Amino acid sequence: MKKIHIVLLILVVAAIAVIVTIFSDFSTYETFSSASRKPGKTYYVIGHLQKDKEMTYDPKIDPNHFTFFATDKAGESHKVIFNGEKPRDIEKSEQIVMMGYEEGGTFHCSRIQMKCPSKYKKDQIAEGNKS
Amino acid sequence: MDIQFVGEHLGPGQLGHFFVITSFVASLFSTFSYFNAVRTETDLSNSSKWQLLARGSFIIHTAAIIAIFTTLFYIITNHLFEYHYAWEHSSLSLPGKYLLSCFWEGQEGSFMLWTFWHCILGLIVMRTAGVLETRTMAIISMVQVFLGTMILGFYFGDDVKIGSTPFMLLRDSMQGAPIFSMPNYLEFVKDGNGLNVLLQNYWMVIHPPVLFLGFASTLIPFAYCIAVLWKKDYTLFVKPTLAWTIFNGAVLGTGIMMGGAWAYESLNFGGYWAWDPVENASLVPWLTLIAGLHTLLVYRSTGRAFTMTVVLLLLSHLLIWYSTFLTRTGILGKTSVHAFTGDGKALTYHLLIVIAVLLLVSIAALVKRWKSLPRIKTEEETLSREFWMFIGSVILFLSAIQITITTSIPVWSPLAKWITGKEFAPPTDVMQHYNNIQVWVAIVVGILSAIVLYMKFKHTEGKSLAARLGITALIAFLMAGAIAWGQNITTWQYDIMLFAACYGIVANVYYGMVIQKLRFKKLGASVSHLGFAAVLLGILLSSYNKHPISFSTTGVAIDFGKNSQEENMKENRENVTMFRGIPVAMGDYYATYTGDSDVAGKDRRIYYKVLFERKDSVSHKVLESFMLYPDAFINPKGQQGLSANPSTKHYWNRDIFTFINSASDKTKSDTSSYRSHTVTKVGDTIYLNNGYMVFTGFVKDASDKRYQQGENDMAVSAGFRVYDASGVVRDINPLFILKDKKYLAFVEDTVQQMGLFARFANLNVITNDSATAEIMLKQTDPKDDLIVLKALVFPYINVLWLGVIIMVFGFFISLGNLLSRTGSVDTAAVK
Repeated sequence: MKKIHIVLLILVVAAIAVIVTIFSDFSTYETFSSASRKPGKTYYVIGHLQKDKEMTYDPKIDPNHFTFFATDKAGESHKVIFNGEKPRDIEKSEQIVMMGYEEGGTFHCSRIQMKCPSKYKKDQIAEGNKS
Repeated sequence: MDIQFVGEHLGPGQLGHFFVITSFVASLFSTFSYFNAVRTETDLSNSSKWQLLARGSFIIHTAAIIAIFTTLFYIITNHLFEYHYAWEHSSLSLPGKYLLSCFWEGQEGSFMLWTFWHCILGLIVMRTAGVLETRTMAIISMVQVFLGTMILGFYFGDDVKIGSTPFMLLRDSMQGAPIFSMPNYLEFVKDGNGLNVLLQNYWMVIHPPVLFLGFASTLIPFAYCIAVLWKKDYTLFVKPTLAWTIFNGAVLGTGIMMGGAWAYESLNFGGYWAWDPVENASLVPWLTLIAGLHTLLVYRSTGRAFTMTVVLLLLSHLLIWYSTFLTRTGILGKTSVHAFTGDGKALTYHLLIVIAVLLLVSIAALVKRWKSLPRIKTEEETLSREFWMFIGSVILFLSAIQITITTSIPVWSPLAKWITGKEFAPPTDVMQHYNNIQVWVAIVVGILSAIVLYMKFKHTEGKSLAARLGITALIAFLMAGAIAWGQNITTWQYDIMLFAACYGIVANVYYGMVIQKLRFKKLGASVSHLGFAAVLLGILLSSYNKHPISFSTTGVAIDFGKNSQEENMKENRENVTMFRGIPVAMGDYYATYTGDSDVAGKDRRIYYKVLFERKDSVSHKVLESFMLYPDAFINPKGQQGLSANPSTKHYWNRDIFTFINSASDKTKSDTSSYRSHTVTKVGDTIYLNNGYMVFTGFVKDASDKRYQQGENDMAVSAGFRVYDASGVVRDINPLFILKDKKYLAFVEDTVQQMGLFARFANLNVITNDSATAEIMLKQTDPKDDLIVLKALVFPYINVLWLGVIIMVFGFFISLGNLLSRTGSVDTAAVK
């Protein structure tokens, strides 16, 4: 066996090890109730904004605090706190993907992606504050 | 139901369709003829006839593509909104310099740009490829056929659609909308949708053409690789492929970093690189291309690594198609910030078919020649350049694989769901995910880029190598130590990366100066390696210590000492609310929002003035002050909300980067009302929200530039001296006018900085020298005028930009040197 083959073998094994470990990095799409089984762990939840319920955002009090209600795929309604500014056009979204974790009955969200109904508009992502 | 529509310009569209079909047919014929030229190769007279035909039709194809461009440009510049493309991507008010950008906002336009570059590069190949012309051009023309189908816009029945044409009429693209049942519908389509405001930026004028040139150039090494397999001649292609690969690496690298610069200057995701799928999609082909460049160098000098070279270079072009698939079909919908939501299904299948065909061609060519591919039985030495270059290429390739796996989650997650039942999503902290893995790639490649030039092909003398590497490593170690200490870089992986970057810099500077003695023509490799190492250093310094200086204190108190993402999320509050006129501490600075440039208009860009002052902590003297003007479009393209552009203060060693996240909408928030005050004698004082004003007396027959005095007019101004809370003194002079002794008129005066408005309500003249004035005062509540701002510091980001420039410069030195050498350089590969 040539040296280069041995080195390549080591590299391939290392690469496979890395690829296996990165799978543990990948998140999953959950519902509010499945996310609440592991409070404090971050997941994605796909849902809809409840337009009839209260939304609060007042930059005079806190520019990093926006609360609203959303329903997930299972139909469960839930309070969501987004620690960022209120995403523009969220009222018009037809679907939202929220990244965050469940704690104390509310979903703490650091990223919202909105799917918009119009073909002529691009989807948007609102980033909250992290790291 | 044929309606005669009024006012449409159908001519340009029909002409455009004609050119689209011409270009498609010409590329088809060119492919056919080049294939025939190859087939009849042994019969010279026949073959050269086919070759001439093929050349002619490729030139016609190129001309038709340019004509399509011109036609579409005509439609856009003349604002022919009956065409969907013009309506969707431009508007009357769009500044002329951005008219070109309309091309690349839409999908059809960007396919055209890509096709255009293929044409130009194809013409160069046609002139320079020599014996390989027929084969390379057959491949290039074939790819042009595939690209041509993308803008055909043919319908078969209701469901099957092949490509989409840029010359589609608005009424055809929105069939069924009631407005199009009116013959004069054009009278109601007054203006186009306009260009996305994020693209209204000079980077968006130059970045897409460069990036697409980079995409397009991957076709040439691809074509050469297929051509040599086809011809079974494994030496001829080395020099041209090397030249094209170097050119490609330089252009694609520039394009990617221009994208980074655009993101940094005009997007508000807070940096130049976010491991976004769209960015990754162009980075991955660059990595495989650079890997292929190095294995090709190995092949040129030692005859080894031929198969690897061909695989990597073929893959680079295939990956460009794959990245088009990722970014244009909307498959990334859930994961990317700026994935273009595409035409969906039709395009998905279309691109998959193209990728499958090109992949099959590549695999078939490799398999067919597998047994005759050049291989060398003997083993290379460990202390040889080829050994380590090969390993570096493999590492780059593995890095590309990792990035592809994570980026492609939406592609393979349905399969994974079927197997595991779990629906996979991207990592919650994408930056950390990639950084944790790619830091090792950076370390290994950084160190290899430092040492590899010191080794010689085939055999290296161990002693002198160890001495040279030892000295440079020691210098690099000291340099890295100093930087780590000064910049407070404490994470151990990043300390190793810092060393790798410093080693790359020191070793390549030393190599260029001491060993190559600055002979310019030879410097290509060491200069580009130096640039690469500087890029690594710049990335590390600017990202590791990137920090927000805007912290909100209005919300929950900050509690330090916790580290998980979930906890940081609660505590890091990078947005700060700034009320007009009230200074906020930011890092070393006091920042004050002093007002905006609100001018009404469509898609208006509003600049927000923020004054930064650095003060001496004892004497409170202002040591340094500057203004930043982050701007935002309010309600762009008819949407709610705002689209912001950052503003950045550049220092040589750091950038202060600010952008607006939210601003009060003036039209809604001005709730304050006028209140009446009466003044009679000098010294009367009125108290304000944040200060007071003292009456200084009337001025009779005031001449004032705010109004044109008539003959019988009487004008009186009331003078006030306004003292604000910080001790600044200003004057305000509302005006009372009796025109022609009959008509009353009032001229209001304002103190913008305090949001103060004053005007007369009445004037009672008592005697010649005394009077009572009723003054109406309004003061905007400063809490009604606010912005939400984020400010970040990027230290040493200039090292990154400088590194990119050096690296690209190095590529061009190599290219120049390669092209200036005449004769065969393929000596070693000839076996």
